Amino acid sequence: MSLYVNRHSLVHSVDPITKLYYIGAAIVVPFIAPSFHAAWVCLLLSVSLLLIARVFHRAMPILGFVAFVLATVIVIQSLFHPGNATAWFHIGSIGVYQEGFWYALGICFRATNIVCAFSILVLTTKPSDLVEALVRKGLSPRIGYVLSSVFQIIPQMVATMGTITDAQRSRGMETEGNLLVRIRAFFPLLGPVVLSSLLNTKERALALQVRGFNATGEKTFLHEQQTYQYSAVLQWGLIGVVIIVVIWRILS
Amino acid sequence: MKTIVVEQLKYRYPLTQTLALNELSFEVEEGEFIGIVGKNLAGKSTLCQALIGLVPHFYHGGYGGRVIVDGLEVGKSQVDEISKKVGIVFQNPFTQVTGSKLTVYEEIAFGLENLGVPRAEMIDRIDHALDLLQMLPFKDRAPFDLSGGQMQRMAIASIIAMRPKIIVLDEPTSQLDPQGSEEVFRAIQSLSREGMTVIMAEHKMEKVAQYADRVLLLHEGRLIDFDRPEKVFSRDDLDQYGIAAPVYTEVCKALDAKIAGEPYYPATLDEACKALVMRRE
Repeated sequence: MSLYVNRHSLVHSVDPITKLYYIGAAIVVPFIAPSFHAAWVCLLLSVSLLLIARVFHRAMPILGFVAFVLATVIVIQSLFHPGNATAWFHIGSIGVYQEGFWYALGICFRATNIVCAFSILVLTTKPSDLVEALVRKGLSPRIGYVLSSVFQIIPQMVATMGTITDAQRSRGMETEGNLLVRIRAFFPLLGPVVLSSLLNTKERALALQVRGFNATGEKTFLHEQQTYQYSAVLQWGLIGVVIIVVIWRILS
Repeated sequence: MKTIVVEQLKYRYPLTQTLALNELSFEVEEGEFIGIVGKNLAGKSTLCQALIGLVPHFYHGGYGGRVIVDGLEVGKSQVDEISKKVGIVFQNPFTQVTGSKLTVYEEIAFGLENLGVPRAEMIDRIDHALDLLQMLPFKDRAPFDLSGGQMQRMAIASIIAMRPKIIVLDEPTSQLDPQGSEEVFRAIQSLSREGMTVIMAEHKMEKVAQYADRVLLLHEGRLIDFDRPEKVFSRDDLDQYGIAAPVYTEVCKALDAKIAGEPYYPATLDEACKALVMRRE
């Protein structure tokens, strides 16, 4: 279920925590510096990082979905933004305005930049590495377990649902057809699926307990901590950029 | 040296009146292989869970008596402390996968990470466990992509890597096909050869007779017998306890072929062959 793409690239070699710093900066900087130029420069940087990581094509479906939503923002703002004054052209009695268009484009760049920044993280970092890095930084191992297990246990639950559906179908239950038939078939499936999941969860809880899940001592890790030569420089650099942008905003 | 001491163990599940375990007392020597047999609801799984402390720490309810494993009183110790001395493998291989690790290698490391085992030692232990369970070819596979037998061997390897002195197996082959069962039995035999104390609840009597040093017969929570397999399986009242003796014992009983110099019938193929040859002579 992971979106991770296994490649050897500079971006892949950067540790997950630094990537989280980048996401923080990618969200904060374009919003604190509300200029159109800041927005497109940040977006250009994020897209460049996706290209360097050779995962840009894998980000396309995510960006495509976001583009559909953002297109509606452009249309609405171009037509109805309160600051609209300079009409580009008219469609019948409705005017399409420059001010609204550029405002919407700024929003699109900022939103797309955030999506790209998250894509950098999820496409170039194994979920287990991310969780492990967070646990090393003090995240509760229990929360870490929940985060990392969800990627594998949900597909297993879907498989269980498939098995139960087949079993019900073999006993004559109609599970395919129009919406009403599907809805009618869905509810009798819920009971066995939920019940089997609860039973599995209880057994899994026992299995975790006997493998020291509740041990209170200090945890160790199989993998060595992923470190990047310039992690500290990058992290402090990103903090510095945010501080500079905040100061610039206050002074201006 | 006694590694398990059970004294007057009694247990009743919450909201029930019947005792699941009733005044059980027995001792197990270090390195022994004990088979626990009995029909469904005889108390096999409950006893297995009592040996690792899930009864009474996870399953609350009425608890009495004492269970001491390797000098540690189970009722007064935490499960994670007990799990350093006793490991348990459950029936369902699927639910023993943590679901948080991407490879078999990482899955086996899970317990060691929790116990704070240093990385270098962790790698040594995992490699040894994988080798012992013949799982090295699968070390980079995703845990959920394994077959039932392989998944169960991975579960055993995960426990072995924690280096317990005792391993408890609660019907580890009940959900496996014959090939998967055979893989697991071979793995358990390897553990026994390494000197580990093995406690296995099992319905496959031929296997119990083949591997166990002693057999513990349970019925409705009570200990009926605890002796050598040939002695337990030669009992005339096994039907009463819902147990069918191994087919070799049944054949030898029908032909009245006893073990040389003993009043008991053979319980394994080798012993049965010897007894039948001797009878012919």
